[in-house]
Amino acid sequence: MMDNDVYDVIIVGGGHAGTEAALASARMGIGTLLLTHSFDTLGQMSCNPSIGGIGKGHLVKEIDAMGGIMAIAADEAGIQFRILNASKGPAVRATRAQIDRVLYRQAIRSRLETQENLRLFQQPVNALLIENDHVIGVRTQAGLEFHARSVVLTVGTFLAGQIHVGLEKIAGGRAGEAPSNQLASFLRELNLPVGRLKTGTPPRIDGKTVDFSVMTIQPGDLPIPVFSYTGNAESHPRQVPCFITHTTRETHEIIRAGLDRSPLYTGLIEGVGPRYCPSIEDKIMRFTGRESHQIFVEPEGLTTSEIYPNGISTSLPFDVQLSLVRSIPGFSRAHITCPGYAIEYDYFDPKGLKPTLETRQIHGLFFAGQINGTTGYEEAAAQGLLAGINAALFVRDKQGFFLNRDEAYVGVLVDDLITRGTSEPYRMFTSRAEYRLMLREDNADARLTEKARTLGLVDDERWKKFCLKMESIENEAQRLRSTWVNPQNLNCDDAIRVFGQKLEREYSLEELLRRPNVHYAELMTLPGLAGSCVDNAVGLQVETNVKYAGYIARQHDEIARLQLFEQMILPDDIDYSQVKGLSAEVTQKLNVHRPHSLGQASRISGVTPAAISLLLVYLRKRENRCGKVENA
Amino acid sequence: MQVPLQVNHVTELIAAIATAPGHGGIGVVRISGPDVRLFANQLSGIDPKPRHAHFCKLRDALGDVLDEGILLYFPAPNSYTGESVLEFQGHGGPAVLNLVLDRCIDLGARLALPGEFTKRAFLNNRIDLVQAESVSDLIEASSAQAARAALRSLSGVFSQRINGLCERLIELRMLVEASIDFPEEDIDILDKFNACQRLLDLQNDLGALLVQAQSGKRIQDGVSVVIAGPPNVGKSTLLNAFAGDDVAIVTPYAGTTRDPITETIQVGPVLLSMTDTAGLHKTLDPIETEGISRAHKAMRTADLVLWVIDATSKELSEPENIPENVPVWKIYNKIDLIAQHSGLFGGIAVSAHSGLNLNKLREELRIFVESRDFGEGAFTARNRHIEALRLTRDQLDQALQNYEVCELLAESLRTAHQTLSRITGTFDSEALLGEIFSRFCIGK
Repeated sequence: MMDNDVYDVIIVGGGHAGTEAALASARMGIGTLLLTHSFDTLGQMSCNPSIGGIGKGHLVKEIDAMGGIMAIAADEAGIQFRILNASKGPAVRATRAQIDRVLYRQAIRSRLETQENLRLFQQPVNALLIENDHVIGVRTQAGLEFHARSVVLTVGTFLAGQIHVGLEKIAGGRAGEAPSNQLASFLRELNLPVGRLKTGTPPRIDGKTVDFSVMTIQPGDLPIPVFSYTGNAESHPRQVPCFITHTTRETHEIIRAGLDRSPLYTGLIEGVGPRYCPSIEDKIMRFTGRESHQIFVEPEGLTTSEIYPNGISTSLPFDVQLSLVRSIPGFSRAHITCPGYAIEYDYFDPKGLKPTLETRQIHGLFFAGQINGTTGYEEAAAQGLLAGINAALFVRDKQGFFLNRDEAYVGVLVDDLITRGTSEPYRMFTSRAEYRLMLREDNADARLTEKARTLGLVDDERWKKFCLKMESIENEAQRLRSTWVNPQNLNCDDAIRVFGQKLEREYSLEELLRRPNVHYAELMTLPGLAGSCVDNAVGLQVETNVKYAGYIARQHDEIARLQLFEQMILPDDIDYSQVKGLSAEVTQKLNVHRPHSLGQASRISGVTPAAISLLLVYLRKRENRCGKVENA
Repeated sequence: MQVPLQVNHVTELIAAIATAPGHGGIGVVRISGPDVRLFANQLSGIDPKPRHAHFCKLRDALGDVLDEGILLYFPAPNSYTGESVLEFQGHGGPAVLNLVLDRCIDLGARLALPGEFTKRAFLNNRIDLVQAESVSDLIEASSAQAARAALRSLSGVFSQRINGLCERLIELRMLVEASIDFPEEDIDILDKFNACQRLLDLQNDLGALLVQAQSGKRIQDGVSVVIAGPPNVGKSTLLNAFAGDDVAIVTPYAGTTRDPITETIQVGPVLLSMTDTAGLHKTLDPIETEGISRAHKAMRTADLVLWVIDATSKELSEPENIPENVPVWKIYNKIDLIAQHSGLFGGIAVSAHSGLNLNKLREELRIFVESRDFGEGAFTARNRHIEALRLTRDQLDQALQNYEVCELLAESLRTAHQTLSRITGTFDSEALLGEIFSRFCIGK
């Protein structure tokens, strides 16, 4: 039902989490309302103009495999595409795109406006409506009330946002936009565990005042990569290069001299910043031995001359920013169009969330994105998608949906957050995934599209394409198993060229492909096979499946052993002090964390294998006891 | 929704010595899991009939006889664990039993964790709820005991070297992971920091340590009993009385014993190791202080502490500074010198000098040792370490083969680290990232 003020699901926020959440819920056939303080910033990229990268590209592919919007929008707005880690193996290979901000916003907004079951409304939200620990709707700044069965909060850095430039402080959620102070104080009263984080951006520079000729040019890859499984390179706009320059000794001196007016080094900023994305002042103070740091000069778009100097995020005063920028090769006459700044904001301890991203305290209330302590568009979008799905399932009284660590980076992300929490903005890295070899960009569709189809997220067109691809992977794998190469029919030059040596007996193509130095594309150049080669994506996946079969089988063994624990749900009402034999430390940890399953419990630091055995015993006893009561 | 506990889950084949460490006579190696019948054939060449005693010879990979004895096969579900179980009853000595156990590991079984057989029995409903009450105690106690056994099995030097290797492995992993997750940094991390040479060195040193661990000196096995208490209460006299020999110097002067002295003694059919320690009191003498510190160390790895009290003194000392989880008995000594035994509560009253009541103490010790049949000795603990070292070495070999494909190199190092961490404790990805960030200036 979609009356003017009654919806099934309400999404608060129109960033990367909010838009994925709204689209997912609506696509599942649920009446959805997206509330944002401004339509102009729907799909806004408030930090660097790029999407993807190591770990992050993996998330984008997973979102796409589940019918999300991010990859499609990146294909329509991407102005330089690269594959990172190309030589390091298929699992850590990742796509990254520079994005035209305007085109990206347009792509997102047009999808939102044409999505069935979805309505948009422009008005900041000031409060949630809560009855008996259930969320029942929201109230906006103008006092309007909207009712719904579930609500997803995706408010980014807006909660009590505080912007720092030098010693000046301005309240704000992004440069030039008001923070959500009312909502922040409302949420603080709910007694959810709240913390404070910090992140920052560099000053923006007018490209017309930059001398690119002294910088290193960095063109995109050819052929141009594509993000979406349903996309193609024809949908890309005009492509442009990036440039690389670096800080100098003079830059470092200017920064050191300005530290007495740095909010970071004078104690004004209390929030914790990310270690992997430090401000330039942090880099120079922490790594005194380095005489120079790289700066990636990234275009902001095709219709603007503004550039983004990636690598000099700073909250130093404006005059210091100006002189440090001008000490960098190519920037000597640079005009800064917008100062860099640091921003502090409220986040909620994600350990208080269920694997569905629903808060434990308030039924029907879901959190996604930076409010959970993450950073990055891709991390936000992935959570948005998951929260949108679960908000919709909640309305239908269906069991929640989540992914395990061996199924997706989305699963790793959420499990890390809810199990360990985070003390700095959380960013995805491939080293966080213990089953990294299985979680590849090339097989995100094979891992997730079928699940998403069941949920109602995948349209017929994507589904058809997916089924065709899977069929041709299966057929090709079958062909490799059943096609044999006889050394007598193979001339010596071809054998040396493809295998590096002569074949001593007959082998199947699959056996040959298993050799480390043999590759699918070359294999297909053997006489008799030429021309029978399949689509590139299919070939790559078949090759990886063959080469990695041994590793993947071992990881499956590991998963199967742990599976039992993942399926053992720890009931909400367990009092861990009643579990016999647990140490005081473990009891306290479990009572605070309240893990969802025995598997999650085993990943909490300090919970020993012996403690897991004790819990197992406790669960079994409890089950028997409950069984007896029911029988009586 | 609650998912019922599943019973038919994937299980591995586990093996362990089922008889208490230090026992003489017959020793039992137990194997539980799927396919034990096939396993029996590989181990003994016999295709065993259910519940039938087969006499057999067990051979090593080269065909040399390890031991001969009785092989029993209990098909699921009629067995101790509810899974298929194989039992080999052979000659009791720890050396022989460990050879048999080694052979089982070579054939693909895994060393059982403390309490794991009982846990499986419990999960398969082979133990009723009343008995189950004690399962929790058992898991707790046997884990603590295994931890103590592990401490005993590791000499300080060995554990230092393991920790050293582990740190180097972490550093290597850090380099590899940094080169994967931060490829846009302007340095080739692996080349710059000689990752390949580091891997070769690590592999070499680990191999050397493994050889040394396998041929290491015989370690103290069996239940460890430590005699402790204030000075001059008769601790050394007690040890001498049990050992039947003057192994410890006895004088009327407090502070005579400095180094802990350990003797293997027999109580009934059971062997245990008994350690005499320096008297505990405040002192400025540096040699005595060192002795006291060694006494505390011995108590930390003890299965039982005998706290000796001088029954003739006016103020009876109470046990103090005993580590958690270690049981303590109060032993009132010198009772031949007093008329009144009243007031000696909660302990055993003896005279080490005259031998009065020592038989009673001996009997209590026998009962104590025999009731601990779930135990894990230092020998098994050391085997666990050797097994982990061997697997780590194999995985480092694989890492070297995979050096050219960065993500496979990373995977082999991950599994190597996971295996080595069984000895040293856990280390997770978050900690690894922490190392990367503190070492490299990373990020844009």
